[in-house]
Amino acid sequence: MIRQSEGLTSRFDWPLFIAGVLIALMGVVNLYSATSVYQGVVAERYISQLYWLLGAGVVGAALCAFDYRHIERGAYIAYAVGIFMLLIVFVLARDVRGSARWIEFGSFRFQPSEFTKVMLIVALAKYLHDDPKNEGRSLRDLAMPAAITAVPAILILRQPDLGTAMVHVFIFLTIAAVTKVSGKSILLFTGTAIIAAYVAYHFVLLDYQRARIEVFLNPEADLLGRGWHAHHARVAIGNGELLGNGYLKGMQNQFLFLPDQATDFPFPVFAEEWGFVGALVLIGLYLFLCLWSIRVASQARDRFGAILCVGVTAMIFWHAVINIGMTCGLLPVVGVTLPLFSYGGSSVSTAMLGLAMVMSVSMRRNMVRPERF
Amino acid sequence: MNLSYQRSDTSEFRKRFRWIALFMTLGFFAIVGRLFQLQILEGEENHAIAVENIVKHVTLATTRGRIVDRDGVILADSRESYNLYAVPGRLDMALTWPKIADYLGLQQKERVRLEEKLTKIRDDKDDPRREQQILLKEDIGWSANVILQEQAADLPGVSVVSVQVRYYPSGVAGAHVLGYMGEVSAEVLPKLRAAGYIEGDRLGVAGTERAWESYLRGTRGREKVLVDARGRRRQDPGGIIEDADRRIDPIPGRDLRLTIDAELQIAIHQAFKSELAGGVAVVEVKTGRIIGLYSKPSFDPAALSGSFGRSALTDAFRRLYSDPLKPAVDKTVSGSYPPGSTFKPFTALAALEKGLVNPRQAIQCRGFLKVGRKNYGCTHVHGATALHRAIAQSCNVYFWQLVNESQVGMDVIAQMGQAFGFGQKTGLGINAEASGRMPTRAWMTYRNKGRYLTGFAMNAAIGQGATTVSVLQLALAYGVVANGGTLYQPQLVRAVETSNATVVQEFSPRVRRRLDLDPENVKLVQKALVAGVNEEGGTAFRARIEGVDVAGKTGTAQVGHKLVRGIEAERVWYFNRDHAWFSGYAPSAAPEVAIVVLVEHGGAGGKHAAPIAFEIIRAYNEINGKAGAKPRDAPRSSARPGEPAPAGPRGRQGSP
Repeated sequence: MIRQSEGLTSRFDWPLFIAGVLIALMGVVNLYSATSVYQGVVAERYISQLYWLLGAGVVGAALCAFDYRHIERGAYIAYAVGIFMLLIVFVLARDVRGSARWIEFGSFRFQPSEFTKVMLIVALAKYLHDDPKNEGRSLRDLAMPAAITAVPAILILRQPDLGTAMVHVFIFLTIAAVTKVSGKSILLFTGTAIIAAYVAYHFVLLDYQRARIEVFLNPEADLLGRGWHAHHARVAIGNGELLGNGYLKGMQNQFLFLPDQATDFPFPVFAEEWGFVGALVLIGLYLFLCLWSIRVASQARDRFGAILCVGVTAMIFWHAVINIGMTCGLLPVVGVTLPLFSYGGSSVSTAMLGLAMVMSVSMRRNMVRPERF
Repeated sequence: MNLSYQRSDTSEFRKRFRWIALFMTLGFFAIVGRLFQLQILEGEENHAIAVENIVKHVTLATTRGRIVDRDGVILADSRESYNLYAVPGRLDMALTWPKIADYLGLQQKERVRLEEKLTKIRDDKDDPRREQQILLKEDIGWSANVILQEQAADLPGVSVVSVQVRYYPSGVAGAHVLGYMGEVSAEVLPKLRAAGYIEGDRLGVAGTERAWESYLRGTRGREKVLVDARGRRRQDPGGIIEDADRRIDPIPGRDLRLTIDAELQIAIHQAFKSELAGGVAVVEVKTGRIIGLYSKPSFDPAALSGSFGRSALTDAFRRLYSDPLKPAVDKTVSGSYPPGSTFKPFTALAALEKGLVNPRQAIQCRGFLKVGRKNYGCTHVHGATALHRAIAQSCNVYFWQLVNESQVGMDVIAQMGQAFGFGQKTGLGINAEASGRMPTRAWMTYRNKGRYLTGFAMNAAIGQGATTVSVLQLALAYGVVANGGTLYQPQLVRAVETSNATVVQEFSPRVRRRLDLDPENVKLVQKALVAGVNEEGGTAFRARIEGVDVAGKTGTAQVGHKLVRGIEAERVWYFNRDHAWFSGYAPSAAPEVAIVVLVEHGGAGGKHAAPIAFEIIRAYNEINGKAGAKPRDAPRSSARPGEPAPAGPRGRQGSP
């Protein structure tokens, strides 16, 4: 134990830390620009974002000092707490633009569906840690993890919040992909998924969600209605060209053509002001963060840690890809934030929490086989 | 470092990590590819769209030129009228619209109507007007404008555009000369777009306003401004709009200085007070410049131009077209009438120039002339009548005898008449001009199915039958008699000026033709015209005003007796009454102006037209400080400040 704690500080994962901090700082700088066109509370969001980052940083530091194996023990409890919070949303929730996603305590409010992603990851990691298999997994072997995923996903879908529900499912699929699933199972699963998607599109999705997908498939049809967000986000990105309009000079942003610049659409603000070069740097950081976390997973000294890292990586990856993808017109517009970069306490805390767990795994990784993945 | 650190077997995942890493890398690369497409390949395109999103073109209104009289008195000018525009797609029907309706003080009915119009455009996805400014309400008034401007920040999608409407200080007195303005109609708009007209523009639709539209109009300016997504104006943070491209100033329209004398115009209006309908032309005999041109019944050009709002406009138009006296017709150039006895001087000149008559040789007038089996009646028994008295006292028998005994045929009269400009348009350039008719023998024969009768020439000799003239034609012809043989092109616009009275283009008098008349013959006719007014027995003698020196000829033109369509039987007597004429010039010795007065269905010329003519000449003398006029005490131009309140004939009608 002594040797281990000695190694802790020396094993601090600087690359992971620096990549995360860089993204977060770029986010704050960008947030300042995104809200600079407003006055009052909105213009001071970057300050509260800084407080959130600091607060989450302190919690995260505590968390990585703490052996992640303790988390393993409380995994299902954390999961149950997450589900409980989601249920509370239905009772206490305040309506924000037609969907109920928040829990409020006075002036403090948070979005449980952000945190349940981490709790889901922990629960899935725990389940797969306890269920080692060396032969190929059949679909039945994945039934339980699927069920663990389905409960929060369905609750979130009912809020309704299609984007976050999908991220939950994608996290599960990514984790399932690391396990040894048999070829037959994959085929079977793909078939089921296609049917399920069809059924979901026609019977489960709400009108506005369907409309968003339709707008995505045919964006020019409704430039002034629902296509507005997608169209102007795309124009803003393109307007950045190679080097950008310059900081605080993004035209589409400054002239209010971008919706939700702080939360869901910070990337167009950034891409417009910093251009293709700036966007490459930001995406490069995300790519590095993901690949580094996968590397940490590959070096984890137990199944729990590995799944934990894969889950957090999946969360970061899907969030980043869906968010940027939707702003540049590759994907339909859904309410998914850009991790660490977007404004929002819940979003930032969740990402920090996840990365703290990766850090925790990294600091305790298996040094015997520093394997290249 | 040893294996004991490995708590559980992670080998199940080992092979999958690199696939996951590859998948994620590809995911981000897909995004980078897309960004490359948007920012590098389509960057310029997207930049253009972004600029287009925020740069709006604002047209800058120009000022329509003024129309002023010969001395600079304003006849037509513009004032501001505030029109409310809205972009239906950006208007908040729940929040903004009720506020606007309140500020405007809309009646419930109009409010519902406008609301339906807006909603319809908003709901129709294909309607291009959704994102365009549409005209909601005209002339909202100054106070509503002030409120809306103050609240502009809270009223996205709404804008007030001030446009200029016309007002005419002399009002009805010169209505037909000035004309009026109208909104450009949807039918002609496509053709006018190239000239810079847009929906809601006004242009001259009659009179000088129409004929000189291209001079008066001016050119719009435009400005590029930055507008954010909520429709608010914003400062250019720098470099979005090139400075050279930012603004093109509007060019104001040219002012027109007319030859018309506003004061005389009002005097004519006053002199005509007791008669219902007719026209007056006063023309300078040595230049062809028109100093007075008046048609009655008149109209209010400002009301017809829509300057008092829509209901006043429809009202004015209804009156314009329902009145049986036809106020829409300019009686001075668009109407043609038989000239009656006012034509006799031209018949006389025709006979004299051809040497067909000895002016001193008298004929016997017994009050009638029997030709074949038909009796032609004279006005009264003139007895022994030579040329001088025949004109002065208007003896028909004398002129009939010219035809019957002196071989003054149809074509002799027609030739002279055409030389004086009858049967041809004068080329005034405003309003639809009637050419009138100067019939020849061939024409009469053709019209009478191949039969020519001597009666035709007899009628032509006294200005009856098929001969018709316009008031302006007659005035120009009398101008020729007065100046001894020069037919001028009538001139209405003296100069084109900039708004600070710098002359851009000045129009000098233009001679249409010089008639080769024997001065002796002209003098004979002139003397007879002087006698017509100033000698006992002259047809206008009783109407003359002491001290007003006029020469001229009365006319009482018979009107074909017929039932005018659309007029009740009780009113037919009016329409069957003769037209009353007076044509002449003044002063008699050294003529300056020719004057023609026509009173439609006025009766006898000496009784109804001559007094008006004399009254007008009296006013002319007064205005020009001539003998017989009261001394003038006020400066002439009303454009000058410090003038005492106008009184009497100078009283202004209509107000801005």
